[in-house]
Amino acid sequence: MDLLCCEGDLIRRGYRDPALLGDSRVLNNLLITEDKYLPSTTYFKAVQDEVKPHMRQMVATWMYEVCEEQRCEDEVFPLAMNYLDRFLSQVRIRKNQLQLLGAVCMFIASKLKETIPLTAEKLVIYTDNSIMCQELMDWELLVLMRLKWDLSAITPCDFLEHILSRLPIERERSDMIAKHAQTFIALCCTEFKFAIYPPSMIAAGSVGAAVNGLVGLGGIWASPNELLEQMQKITNIDMDCLRACQEQIEQLLATSLCSPMSHPDPLATKHQEEKDQSSTPTDIRDIDF
Amino acid sequence: MQKYEKLEKIGEGTYGTVFKAKNKETHEIVALKRVRLDDDDEGVPSSALREICLLKELKHKNIVRLHDVLHSEKKLTLVFEYCDQDLKKYFDSCSGDIDPETVKSFMYQLLRGLAFCHSHNVLHRDLKPQNLLINKNGELKLADFGLARAFGIPVRCYSAEVVTLWYRPPDVLFGAKLYSTSIDMWSAGCIFAELANAGRPLFPGNDVDDQLKRIFRLLGTPTEDTWPGMSRLPDYKPFPIYQVTTSLAVVVPKLCPKGRDLLQRLLVCNPAHRLSADEGLNHPYFNDLSSAVRTG
Repeated sequence: MDLLCCEGDLIRRGYRDPALLGDSRVLNNLLITEDKYLPSTTYFKAVQDEVKPHMRQMVATWMYEVCEEQRCEDEVFPLAMNYLDRFLSQVRIRKNQLQLLGAVCMFIASKLKETIPLTAEKLVIYTDNSIMCQELMDWELLVLMRLKWDLSAITPCDFLEHILSRLPIERERSDMIAKHAQTFIALCCTEFKFAIYPPSMIAAGSVGAAVNGLVGLGGIWASPNELLEQMQKITNIDMDCLRACQEQIEQLLATSLCSPMSHPDPLATKHQEEKDQSSTPTDIRDIDF
Repeated sequence: MQKYEKLEKIGEGTYGTVFKAKNKETHEIVALKRVRLDDDDEGVPSSALREICLLKELKHKNIVRLHDVLHSEKKLTLVFEYCDQDLKKYFDSCSGDIDPETVKSFMYQLLRGLAFCHSHNVLHRDLKPQNLLINKNGELKLADFGLARAFGIPVRCYSAEVVTLWYRPPDVLFGAKLYSTSIDMWSAGCIFAELANAGRPLFPGNDVDDQLKRIFRLLGTPTEDTWPGMSRLPDYKPFPIYQVTTSLAVVVPKLCPKGRDLLQRLLVCNPAHRLSADEGLNHPYFNDLSSAVRTG
């Protein structure tokens, strides 16, 4: 008897909701709110001592791989990175706590965005059992308190459809551009220098890079400046900034294509001899907003 | 937790017990929602997580205000503004009569709260009289955002079991996984009719089939012409072709013609043709709305 596979694509995508995309207030609200969730740009100098930028890149790459393998929503990884950066902007941690923090940030982002969130058990396994479930729970509260429960951070993903629906591209092409832009956004999240840019700029830069790589101007735009001009009108970001951001994304892309993302040892961020986790902060206090 | 004195239990929420309490310093009356954090669990429940961060964003007079989140041993306590009752209890207390001005005021406030949610990328997804709170000043507030979520676009399918059957739109009943703001607009229509009839639910279906039949008997069975794509919905099945025989004037006799027109535009089977919250607010039905409600 033949086996019949009728599983199909279980994940259905929402349709473009005119009440949201057509309403300029939704995009305006996103543009107004995004700054509220930006991390500090100087936390490696001002707050952290043990944790260095290359460790952030390592833990980010690990987080990206977990999200990919678990087929998380596209937004989960950028959102988790936003939590990580904002936490590191406030709290000095030891380098052996970085992976725990990364796991907690994915735990929270996934709960917020997904119907079936990542389980604590799975995340512990992904750290090769270098963290314990209880630590994950304790740190979840710590992170939530420190972020003051401000979890609806705006990520570049939130802007993608808003930008694409305002550009003169037909649906099929724009789906392909969105897919590539999504990957570029994830790539940007692994690089600290992009953490200081507003999400709307990263979204626009990623769309620009995707258009550039996929269709060129494709007979739609007379010159690269015309596309930039349109995106400037949509996002209110200065054209030079948009251009610079796109170029940086293209550079990052070129380097990462030459040397694909390093695959860090899951334990690399975690020193075996520092297993003692008694320093887990417990100063979780009531917060007022 | 010393800050509040518990007064009485109000009810059971989606994820915990709700108490009425008094702030010992300010004597302000609040509602406390307790969330237990069990060891073997998945930490903070996702519904609580979503509700807290969404309500922190959604500061609006028609959305219940979250004052504070307290954390103590093994539990979280959410401190909400206190409202005297929910719309369901209000219905029970007004014994079959709500004056037309109140109906208009409540409906306006409901749409205004929804318009605010929708402009902030949030769907409520579980509107029903129990989730609408009413205070002494006749203010209406949307509550219980445990099922709501901030959604990016495009969105993935969400679990189908979200809206209480009676307030569930036909697209969701047919298994549509592509939710949009229109899901809340259907529920708003059902609540509008219930308000106009002083608490008699419009479509009190027993199961999905019965629910759809009740809808189609009143509005007529939709066709591929009126609703392209309907028959491709995952749980679609053909229903008898009902023609519209009952006018809304019979269904909501106390509602004025303009109000019936608004209701008609909300209760549209094809989600693409349902009125948006903003369009609803601009409907002529509200032309003579008292300025106290409009600005209040």
